[in-house]
Amino acid sequence: MLPLKIAWRFVRSSWAQSALIIVGIAVGIAVQIFVGSLITSLQASLVKTTIGSSSHVTLTDPKDGQPVVYTERVQRLVTTTTGVKAVVPTRQVSTLYSNGTDRVPLTVKGGVLGELDRIYKLTPRTIAGTASLRPGEIMIGKDLAAKYALAPGDPLSLLTGSSRTTLRVSGVFDLGSSAANLRQAFSGPEFPRGLLGHRADQYTAIETQLTDPFLSKTVAAEWAAQLPTVKITNWQVENKDLLTALQSQSGSSYLIQVFVLVAVALGIASTLAVSAVQKSRQIGILKALGMADRRTGNIFFAEAMILGVTGTGLGVLTGYLLIAGFTAGTSRSPSSFPIVPEPGFIAISAAVGILVAVLSSLIPIRKTTRLDPIEVIQNG
Amino acid sequence: MAETLVVAEGLGRVYPGAVPTVALEGVSFQFDAGEFAAIVGRSGSGKSTLLNMLGLLDTPTHGSLMLGGRDVSRIGSSERAALRNELIGFVFQYHHLLPEFSVRENVAMPALIAGRRLDADLTKRVDETLDVLGLSGLGGKGANDLSGGQKQRVAIARALMNRPPLVLADEPTGNLDTESTDAVYDLFRTVNREWGTSFLIVTHDQEIASMTDRIFEIADGKLSQDVRNEFARPTRSPSGDPARP
Ligand SMILES: Nc1ncnc2c1ncn2[C@@H]1O[C@H](COP(=O)(O)OP(=O)(O)O)[C@@H](O)[C@H]1O
Ligand SMILES: [Mg+2]
Repeated sequence: MLPLKIAWRFVRSSWAQSALIIVGIAVGIAVQIFVGSLITSLQASLVKTTIGSSSHVTLTDPKDGQPVVYTERVQRLVTTTTGVKAVVPTRQVSTLYSNGTDRVPLTVKGGVLGELDRIYKLTPRTIAGTASLRPGEIMIGKDLAAKYALAPGDPLSLLTGSSRTTLRVSGVFDLGSSAANLRQAFSGPEFPRGLLGHRADQYTAIETQLTDPFLSKTVAAEWAAQLPTVKITNWQVENKDLLTALQSQSGSSYLIQVFVLVAVALGIASTLAVSAVQKSRQIGILKALGMADRRTGNIFFAEAMILGVTGTGLGVLTGYLLIAGFTAGTSRSPSSFPIVPEPGFIAISAAVGILVAVLSSLIPIRKTTRLDPIEVIQNG
Repeated sequence: MAETLVVAEGLGRVYPGAVPTVALEGVSFQFDAGEFAAIVGRSGSGKSTLLNMLGLLDTPTHGSLMLGGRDVSRIGSSERAALRNELIGFVFQYHHLLPEFSVRENVAMPALIAGRRLDADLTKRVDETLDVLGLSGLGGKGANDLSGGQKQRVAIARALMNRPPLVLADEPTGNLDTESTDAVYDLFRTVNREWGTSFLIVTHDQEIASMTDRIFEIADGKLSQDVRNEFARPTRSPSGDPARP
């Protein structure tokens, strides 16, 4: 306890110097937390936009255009694999929407609404009409609806090969991407099945989502080993470029964080080194009065803890404020995403900050431990 | 018969180097509890070196040293620190007070180092010690808010805090005027008489030396004289209460 008390007096006696280094640590930790959270949230938001509403692992037939057979064995395998949160068999046809003057391509994905919702979240994303995929009904995206002035209840004429089918628009959805909102539509399972001539157990694709999307490679490999006749793709392979970009972004973010911590460490180390020199007379007299070498070292350990804990605490607070400020300041922009402060990451940053403080006290501790009191005492 | 406090036998200290410096050589003497002695000698003769070894701040390179019946010639640094705290009170030429602490905390420091807390009990003892040194009511002041003479008396109070059997003073009045110097010696004498504390005082001042009971003279690192001073003058100033100079 005495070393802590002495350390506290030392910190207080040169308070301007102490305040400066505390602010320095705080800025470093705040930047560390802000940059780290920003990058993580940005990536989470990118990944979510990319794969939040798409299949993570997809089962198809190896031959293009051929249906995959959804046997009981396949079903048992994919539904019982841990980490799989949704399995949605779908059929998909490419059609042309013709409104008399224009013909635009429109991909219609057919499935049971309750199942489709688990990946595409059609019901919560319905912005007009009702989410409904009964026979004869179709749901279209808001960009298609806006471009051709389509409203719920309107008929929609689709060409596939030589045949023409007219469905009724039940609802308009917003998938969050204008390409999808223009080119993608959803129907019940019967419409594409009739056009494709599938048996009841034949589908274009079995789409799945995982609780942890980054396990898609592992799950895909596991399934491929069990189902040699089925083609299994995963989003991580199909979005390799995105993932590479994210990885190099993470890499540069780590680099920034490491540099920030190095700067913090140098700051504390130099402050403590200066303090150890400034206070060597006091250390000498404490030793002469009978304080053991190791306990005098503990004074600078305690000083490092005081500076490190205070600076880190202040830095965590500032980091939260920066995040809140950023989120508030950008919330009106349409492309904004919230920065989510992750307690785990912040706890690690704080722990690293304090650890850095402790490590940077090692040199002054060594110096102090070795200080010979005679040298100090004889020169008044 | 008085208890033997210090036994030095062939004590020596050589500073290593290209040309090793023999700072002290073959010093042997006994020193009893309750003695009041001076160490005199030219500058550079080895007085501080001897005092530092007696105070366990330095280790002898030759000979042996017993302190309080214990051989302390070759003990480790943490043991030396603990013994220093328990057995020795230091007074240096410079007061060496800790400016970050109050007068009371400075005086209490040896007890705090020994693991005590500055509770009501200890505060009372500190204030009593301050009273003895004529520093009543100054406990709450900062160490830097005192005059030079007061600071040195606070340093003495600190040296006496743990009631050590031996006080080592290295030119304790080198920075003080005659009046303050006399007050300091009167104090040492009073403490020596009342508490039985032994004193070894390095001094340049012949008159001061003549007031002690025993005079060691060091010359070129050797103990050249060790004389009993049967006619020690009790004090230089006419008389008076030494606690209130
Ligand atoms: N750390 C040291 N290294 C080398 N020589 C030293 C050291 N300290 C003291 N000495 C030498 O030891 C001798 C005695 O010094 P000291 O005990 O300080 O003398 P005094 O206190 O009598 O003036 C001197 O010659 C001095 O130069
Ligand atoms: Mg000297």
